[in-house]
Amino acid sequence: MTHLWERLLEAKSRLAPVQSKYRVLFEDPATPDEPAKVLVPDPNFMAAALAGNVLPPIDTYQRDRLVPDGQPKEHPYAEPIGAMSEEEAIEYLVMKDIDPAVWRDYQGNRTIMKIVPVEMIPSDRSFRNAWRIMQ
Amino acid sequence: MSTLNVSNITDGTTTVGTSYVVNGSAKAWIFFQGTGTVNVLDSFNISSVDDNGTGNYDLNYASSFSSANISPVGTSNWRGVLTHDAYSATDTNLATREGGSSSKGDRGRLSVTVHGDLA
Repeated sequence: MTHLWERLLEAKSRLAPVQSKYRVLFEDPATPDEPAKVLVPDPNFMAAALAGNVLPPIDTYQRDRLVPDGQPKEHPYAEPIGAMSEEEAIEYLVMKDIDPAVWRDYQGNRTIMKIVPVEMIPSDRSFRNAWRIMQ
Repeated sequence: MSTLNVSNITDGTTTVGTSYVVNGSAKAWIFFQGTGTVNVLDSFNISSVDDNGTGNYDLNYASSFSSANISPVGTSNWRGVLTHDAYSATDTNLATREGGSSSKGDRGRLSVTVHGDLA
């Protein structure tokens, strides 16, 4: 099995980047005074997700979160998974790049995460540090 | 994909070990827009960027590093000073600060290259 990095390299040479029409808005319950964050999917990563046979199963990333630095990690050499839809790829990114405290463990009654079309993200950043998710 | 298995590369005069080439290559890079609606313009080995607030971004790596001992280097346009406020094997937090000040400010174009050992 080739390393994930090599598969990404090969995919970038072959696939056109895909700009996602989605963004993920989220707030970290551990830092309630910080503004809402916006996850921006990478276009080359999205292209690899939509094409399939490049990215590892999401559970390998989740298990690797618990592996100490310097120890072998599972995701680079895991068997790649098949093609995803754009919506599945966004869910994959949520589980990969957002802390489980936001998308899995939060039990409060505020909405702290939303997947939204990119048009709903304000382009005027004048009050960027005051952004909150509308309830 | 086929694999060329060699320990040295030479042009007939100068020889260099393949490990120097592999270890010396950047393992991730990104060029992105940090103003308006944040957008990734081109990249390699990045899965997403988090827009955390004014002049505050996280880079998330698709293929993570073996440890937090990595070397992110970046530039931004127009008097921006790019600082790395925190990093781990899986992501790096960047801040763009106004030149000569500690306050953060958005920048239109940011470029970052990351060296280190992959997991």
